Amino acid sequence: MGAQPPEIALDIRDLRKNFGGIRAVDGCSLAFPRGQISGLIGPNGSGKTTTFNLLTGVIAPDSGAIYYNGDNLAGLKPYQVFRKGITRTFQITRIYREMTVFENMLSASRLSVPERQGRARAEELMAFVNLTHLRDEYGGNLSYGQQKLLEFARALMPDPDVILLDEPAAGINRTLLADLLTHIHRLQGMGKTIVIIEHDMNVIMNHCAKIFVMDYGLKIAEGPAQEIQRNEQVITAYFGHR
Amino acid sequence: MEQAEIRRVYLLGAFIVAAFATPFAVGAWSGNIFYDRQWLMDLITVCLNGLLQGGVYAMYGVGLTLIFGVMRIINVAHGEIVMLGAYLTWVLFNAPEYLGLGWHLDPLLTMVITLPIAFALGFAIQKVLLNAVVGGPELTPLLITFGVGIAMINLVEWIFTTDYHTIPYQPDAFHITETIFVGKNKIISFAMALAISLGVFLFLKLHRLGKAIRATAQNPEVAMVCGIDVQRIYLVTFGLGAALASAGGALVSIQFGFNPETGVQYTVVAFAIIVLGGRGHYLGAMLGAVLLAVLENLVSFMVPNGSAMVEMAAYTMIVGVLLIRPQGLLGVKET
Repeated sequence: MGAQPPEIALDIRDLRKNFGGIRAVDGCSLAFPRGQISGLIGPNGSGKTTTFNLLTGVIAPDSGAIYYNGDNLAGLKPYQVFRKGITRTFQITRIYREMTVFENMLSASRLSVPERQGRARAEELMAFVNLTHLRDEYGGNLSYGQQKLLEFARALMPDPDVILLDEPAAGINRTLLADLLTHIHRLQGMGKTIVIIEHDMNVIMNHCAKIFVMDYGLKIAEGPAQEIQRNEQVITAYFGHR
Repeated sequence: MEQAEIRRVYLLGAFIVAAFATPFAVGAWSGNIFYDRQWLMDLITVCLNGLLQGGVYAMYGVGLTLIFGVMRIINVAHGEIVMLGAYLTWVLFNAPEYLGLGWHLDPLLTMVITLPIAFALGFAIQKVLLNAVVGGPELTPLLITFGVGIAMINLVEWIFTTDYHTIPYQPDAFHITETIFVGKNKIISFAMALAISLGVFLFLKLHRLGKAIRATAQNPEVAMVCGIDVQRIYLVTFGLGAALASAGGALVSIQFGFNPETGVQYTVVAFAIIVLGGRGHYLGAMLGAVLLAVLENLVSFMVPNGSAMVEMAAYTMIVGVLLIRPQGLLGVKET
């Protein structure tokens, strides 16, 4: 058991993952604060999405630990991580195109949860993201923005403590993005821990309490927005040497 | 739907119409068509028999399509599981007689025992042999199931020899009119097949485990992060597919002769059905089963020495559909 400070929701220690000769995540340590919105940024290929995949069990780490409520999640299967209370969305939205919006929602309801309770939760979340009017529409018929909202709402089905959002702003219009950010802040208000990977720096700098920057599989900086904006190492990672 | 796709759907429709017109053309050419009332009544009887046989075919097809749809595994041993189901039914049917009780167990009632056995067998095959290779190259599970099929044939031959068996069950005919009639066993089989197929369809549509199976079929990676134990779903799916195949075997045993090698025929039929209906599409498999069975009966009825040409109809369907619209009648194009 790792000595995980109570103010830290997810404590990643010396996480490593190689793909052949490529070190996708190279001894990365991150501590995401509980009940806050954190940003995870970095140039393309810096290991952000791989970190999310390692956190959610989609791929197993070569070494390292991921502490959550005192348990090490490293090596757990995705459904086990989900059942611990950590859910995610994907960079390219992944919904069930041949299922209705309602069925998509129910797919993330655990079998142990009574059916009536699962349905009520699905209805509540569809209302939360304004998708109730599309309840019986097939996922494949929704616009991209609506699919994003559906995926986001689906990730909330088990009432998770930690929500990992992979590029939530990508491909959606400003109005929808504003709605999505409102929802994210409401969740944070409920005490949820939210980690966002995002290339839209307005989203990261204006909405994240703490920002973690990765490059070449390593954390190169962490801190509040103002600090990160002035960090020489971060500027070099994004723009090269001046 | 894009223009090219619409064209392919029309072309597939035309191919199926042509496939159905061919036995008529060959029959007319060879003098097997008689333009009288009796021939017309016989034709109606043949079509009805085809429709009823389609029910049994659906039992092979839906199991295979379920397994393929969820795991993208080509289960070459599917026909052998059908064959095993037929033998299990035959053994249980005769068991009271062998025990000196002087009566036989109803072959449909045996499903209460044979279906759970088949489910357990499918579950075990998946757990021991296939779970580790799902998601890998398609050739690996194909070769594994090929080996499993051969092992099943050898085992059954060793126990029961290659003699043909059948179960006499409701052999008399049910007359719809004076000249149109079908075997009672066929009607009962069809009703049973329809009930089981619809039961499984409703399970997939409405039950939460069924929805989890559908979710896994659509995107296993998303299913995983939505809390679904995908490996467990694979076990249940293969078990369910095997149970459906075994039910098909029970229905075969009361209508047709079977021996350890007839499993290969069932596999071919099952493949033709799922290719025609759409790989991984449950309702498509039911539709494909009925179309293929009716076509086979028409070939058998109208083409000289037609019963020898029946398998050719199935193979022609597979090749034709794959060339025109690989996703079949109701399937969705894979991306």
